Amino acid sequence: MTWALIFGMATITYVNRYLFFARSISYRPGARVQRLLSYSSYAVLTAIWAPIVFEVNSSYDVSLAGLDYALATSLAAILSYLRINSLIVVLASTAVFFIIRFF
Amino acid sequence: MIKPTQSSSSPKLAWIAFIDMLPLCLAVLPWGVLTGALATQAGFSVAQSQALSLLVFAGAAQLSAITFFAAGTAYGAIFASTFVISARHLLYSLTFRQHIAQEPWLTRVAVAFLLTDEMFAVSEAHTKRAGTFSVRFALLSGLFFYIAWNLATAFGIAMATLGQSADSLGLDSLGLEFAIVATFIAMTFGELRRFPVLLAVVVSGSVAIFTKPFFSDSYIIFAAISGMIAAYCCDKPDVSAGIEVNPEQVQ
Repeated sequence: MTWALIFGMATITYVNRYLFFARSISYRPGARVQRLLSYSSYAVLTAIWAPIVFEVNSSYDVSLAGLDYALATSLAAILSYLRINSLIVVLASTAVFFIIRFF
Repeated sequence: MIKPTQSSSSPKLAWIAFIDMLPLCLAVLPWGVLTGALATQAGFSVAQSQALSLLVFAGAAQLSAITFFAAGTAYGAIFASTFVISARHLLYSLTFRQHIAQEPWLTRVAVAFLLTDEMFAVSEAHTKRAGTFSVRFALLSGLFFYIAWNLATAFGIAMATLGQSADSLGLDSLGLEFAIVATFIAMTFGELRRFPVLLAVVVSGSVAIFTKPFFSDSYIIFAAISGMIAAYCCDKPDVSAGIEVNPEQVQ
């Protein structure tokens, strides 16, 4: 029965991933939907990282995860905004993060 | 091999995919170890614990299901939670549709299988850099992540089987998840000068921060859709969409 749980979950996640790759789905995003979707990566990636840095409790008090997160995130944000190479941004801000965290 | 693109040879593309995915692989390491260890402790057999990562391959959905399973929750409720948590993949699937729909069946099946937050992120970044979507890049980066996730899970299962607590490594307190923050900022902030992108980031981030405590299963998709709609509403088609979308031609 546990295997049924695993296969059931695998089916659900797979259908969510494959659905719009199926040719039998006749829906084709028009120009407007395509324009909406062009913002999907900015929106979803921010939705994933923001709550790691900014924490909110159930009475709506916002707090930072810590000084290490605050400074290293700011550095990553500034460097990225200046269009510094992504790899350098990741290495530099992660280095700053661990230096603050462990020293 | 279909048709060699001018971009790069296979080994080189594989190397780029590997380097792009590496920070994200490291970032989810503690999470993967935890997922493996908790599954085994919750009563899944060794094979079943690994099968969760091999077949379901969705971290948040796995952890949630393991918690429910340990509490004896009905499968229907676990399936519902799995659907809600993984619903954001519908958005990735729809975003990739224009690039993928023309590919052979087996390619589409494989890309779908490897489609995760992380693969979507590095693939989108690669598409912006290279100017075109690369199916091989998507497959390679997705595969690297799949291997890393499953190795981490296997390690967690081994620790639990040997009676070690997953916490004893101290992986959780290392703060490896900062690599997610750094990578995702590096992928998006270069475009922040475009006002719709700024709006997408601010709205999506704020909605995510404030809804996470109440909708821990679904806040990402709600926040993302809010940010996309906000950006769309203030976006002037003729100015910003000039790069790839030509409203008259696309149908």
